Amino acid sequence: MTQPAIFFEEVNERQGVFHRRAILLGAFAGLGIAGMGSRLAYLQLLEAQRYEKLATSNQFNFKLMPAPRGLIVDRNGAILAANRPNFRLLVHRDKDLDTEATLKHLADYVPLDEARQRRLLKDINAAPKRAPVQVIEDMSWEQFSAIKLRGPELPGVTADMGEVRVYPHGGAFAHVIGYVAKVNKEDVAEAGPNRDPIMLHPSFRVGKQGVEKALDVDLRGKPGAKKVEVDANGREVREDPEGDIPATPGAEVQLTLDVDVQNRALDVFGEESGGAVMMDCRTGDILCMASAPSFDANRFVRGMTGAEYRALTGYERKPLLDKCLSGLYPPGSTFKTMTALAILTAGVSPEERVSCGGGMHFGGRFFHCHKRGGHGSQNLNDAIKNSCDTYFYAMSLRVGPDRIAEAARAFGLGQTFDIGIPGQKKGIVPDREWKKRYFKKNKEMQPWWPGENLSYAIGQGYLQVNALQLAVMTARLANGQKALNPRLIRSVGGKELPRGSDVADLPFPREHIDRVRAGMAAVTEVGGTAWRASQLGLGDITMAGKTGTAQVRNYDSGGSRGKGGAWHLRDHGLFVAYAPIVEPRYALAVIVQHGMGGSTAAAPRAREIMRTALLKDPEIVARVLKPMPMPELTPDRELDIVPEVSNVERPA
Amino acid sequence: MTVSALTRPGERDRLIVKLSEIDWVFVLVLSLIAGAGALMLFSMAGSSWMPWAAAHLGRFALLLLVMIVLAVVDLRVWFAIAYPLYGFGLLLLVAVEAVGDVRLGAQRWLSIGPFSFQPSEVMKLGIVLALARLYHGVPAQRARLSWWLFVPATMIALPVLLVAHQPDLGTAMLIALTGAAIVVLAGLSWRLIAIFSVTAIAAVVPMITFVLHDYQRERIFTFLNPESDPSGSGYHILQSMIALGSGGLLGKGYGLGSQSQLNFLPEKQTDFAFAALAEEFGFLGCISILALYAAVIFMALRTAYLSHSHFGRLAASGATATFTLYVLINGAMVMGLAPVVGVPMPLLSYGGTVMVTVMAGFGLVQSVRVHRYAEVTSGKGSFV
Repeated sequence: MTQPAIFFEEVNERQGVFHRRAILLGAFAGLGIAGMGSRLAYLQLLEAQRYEKLATSNQFNFKLMPAPRGLIVDRNGAILAANRPNFRLLVHRDKDLDTEATLKHLADYVPLDEARQRRLLKDINAAPKRAPVQVIEDMSWEQFSAIKLRGPELPGVTADMGEVRVYPHGGAFAHVIGYVAKVNKEDVAEAGPNRDPIMLHPSFRVGKQGVEKALDVDLRGKPGAKKVEVDANGREVREDPEGDIPATPGAEVQLTLDVDVQNRALDVFGEESGGAVMMDCRTGDILCMASAPSFDANRFVRGMTGAEYRALTGYERKPLLDKCLSGLYPPGSTFKTMTALAILTAGVSPEERVSCGGGMHFGGRFFHCHKRGGHGSQNLNDAIKNSCDTYFYAMSLRVGPDRIAEAARAFGLGQTFDIGIPGQKKGIVPDREWKKRYFKKNKEMQPWWPGENLSYAIGQGYLQVNALQLAVMTARLANGQKALNPRLIRSVGGKELPRGSDVADLPFPREHIDRVRAGMAAVTEVGGTAWRASQLGLGDITMAGKTGTAQVRNYDSGGSRGKGGAWHLRDHGLFVAYAPIVEPRYALAVIVQHGMGGSTAAAPRAREIMRTALLKDPEIVARVLKPMPMPELTPDRELDIVPEVSNVERPA
Repeated sequence: MTVSALTRPGERDRLIVKLSEIDWVFVLVLSLIAGAGALMLFSMAGSSWMPWAAAHLGRFALLLLVMIVLAVVDLRVWFAIAYPLYGFGLLLLVAVEAVGDVRLGAQRWLSIGPFSFQPSEVMKLGIVLALARLYHGVPAQRARLSWWLFVPATMIALPVLLVAHQPDLGTAMLIALTGAAIVVLAGLSWRLIAIFSVTAIAAVVPMITFVLHDYQRERIFTFLNPESDPSGSGYHILQSMIALGSGGLLGKGYGLGSQSQLNFLPEKQTDFAFAALAEEFGFLGCISILALYAAVIFMALRTAYLSHSHFGRLAASGATATFTLYVLINGAMVMGLAPVVGVPMPLLSYGGTVMVTVMAGFGLVQSVRVHRYAEVTSGKGSFV
């Protein structure tokens, strides 16, 4: 452009257009900024609350914290299951964190040798980012506070206090109380309380057996939550203790068990296998329900190694099986109490006698009495006292199976009880009807053969019971009036459960029951089957009982009478008892699996357990320790002590 | 020493007079915005000058000096370097195509020794100067409606296409809109403006489907519905809106913005600095900052308005348009009204490149103000 191309008017026109357009640009900018202002007003003034909520939910997270699990206590409040603090040390991995150096640093405060450090480093690197890996647990308070204090120098390290279930009595209550353990996939349910997100918390434990399982939901309580401030990467920046939601501790469960009786029961079993159940004859409360051998429930809480578990499951005496509820045994001669009741119900006079010559021929077979030489002439009382099989063989033919079953069922055999924990087996109380049902497909086996009455009468044959049923039977006999139900759980969270004595009366006349009781009292008198083994040594306080020796196999095939040989072929020893004989307080059933004899294996153990319970009962102790009244000082010539004055006169 | 049209010739060329002619209120407002930026960056870093606040202030101080130096540069010098600068910018854009560094998947950077810079920034100033230079000698009629308009259209299209190809959609759009602003200010016919607008809007849909990269398309879709994918690509917009909204009327307090302090707000020191400010200082703080921006735009436009030369008018208003676009685009993005395009809030956000561009632009604006009576001719006797 070498010459001016623009004329003056054009210059003016250009300027005018620009000025108008510049004002428009300014207006446009102003409009834009005003638009921003109104958008800000909308977001910051009208919608502020909504965004504040969103910001808060960004900023704060709530971490679920399990509630302290409810305590389990015995009838006197002694602790059977509690929680103890567990100081744990956790390390997590994060970018720009040197985990190796952290572990080295930690080794200054807690025992961490190099091999362990290497193993942990591998674990931590394998774990997802920021997922804490447990480095050490059960630290001492000193170690815990040392780590807490040095928190700022130890990034990625958390020392926290969890709770661990502890069973102070180890194995004594393992079968009743059960145990808690880590949550399995199978424990998490689609619905109900096992859907709770707390199930996924790493330190949450779920009840797996016994009371812990049956009352799991009550014992759990309500989990709380910990309020933490997190950054965009999910790292915890700060805790906000004021925002924490406190947990509601689980309900306390009180059992009817007595810690001393239970411990003593497990003690007396020693290496033997079996179960002992004791009930209060007035209330139905179960004071003792011990199964031997037992196992340490605490081992399950920590998690067992495969070898430990295999050792438990592989042992012949089956420590994991609850022999009180799940173990079924023929009751043997202890069942003669029921047969005796049936005999009385059938209208047989208790004074009617049977002559025992060591057994009885029936149906082409000879049924032995346990005393080969025979008991001689026996009435009902003698037969119970001596456990004379011949008497019961003979009488059973007049009574029939249905009357025996009726008595057995009325006294609690062949049924389960609502004691609040799972695992009870019903057992078998056979009668004609039962046999028809049992051999539904085998017509030939359906009829009840008269010969079967004989073994039924002495507690053998199809009959199967568990220790709890035997205890209920004995407690009902001892009570004499009420069909007591057993009660194991006394209260949950302070709410008492129905008592076992709020029940109907037994459908048997009192004098029949008293006849049987008289027989049981005779068992422990001089000459009775359990005479030597059942002396309590508590003066007037004496025990009544009935021995039983249940055969495991048929002796007819030859061999000894189950008194030796392989353990699993030996007879079971049983003893049922109640004490005191006058105004009974406690009923007890003891089964010693393959213990060989009721009077040798079961009765002495029963005596020990009974003594423990009696000596703990102030009412009984008062009866034992009752003051002996002073003899009245009436002048008696026979006395050595002669007044001094008369002494003078004596020569006369 | 106020200068007027009647001031003695030569008097206006004295340095001290030129310096006194600079709009110092304007400088003060710029400093206030940059100061607010430094304040925010100090808070962002957890009450620390490092790594951002000190650098931000230092950079601003240096660039303020550069701005003042540019302000006293004679407008005829600006006029003379307009085409060379544009040509140089184009050359650099071609060079970046050939040998540029690839960063974050885009070829935008050119390294010369230890320095690296984005040539597209040179173009932001280059397009303003070149178009102003072009229109300076063009009569109104031709600028309004004529075949000649293909010349400015080509001048805009060349750098826009090159930058878009890098790909840097944000800058390309900024250059295009700046160029368009100058063309409109120069007096483009309203009918053409309408036709272009309609065509542009109509072109958007096929552009989105065929031309855009996946990440660009995603940004646009998530902008339309940020809550559709709150943890994915909608995250930026949603977190920014949460930061803004939760600030409320008075803000959460200095250093207490949970969104920014806990890193929920992404790019808090650059693209989303305004959101961080909104969170900690609330509606009142935001309005104050917006008022400062409005003042800057108003003062710069007034400078353009008062210029006697057409080159001065168009150059100053072009630079103002660039600045205005930065503010509006970033504001809209932060408030969830526009897709995330990586345009920072000028002077408030941390980042050297934009500050250089903006301050150089204001150097030009102030030069137009200082030399508002200068005769700028393209013929003989011109300065160079």
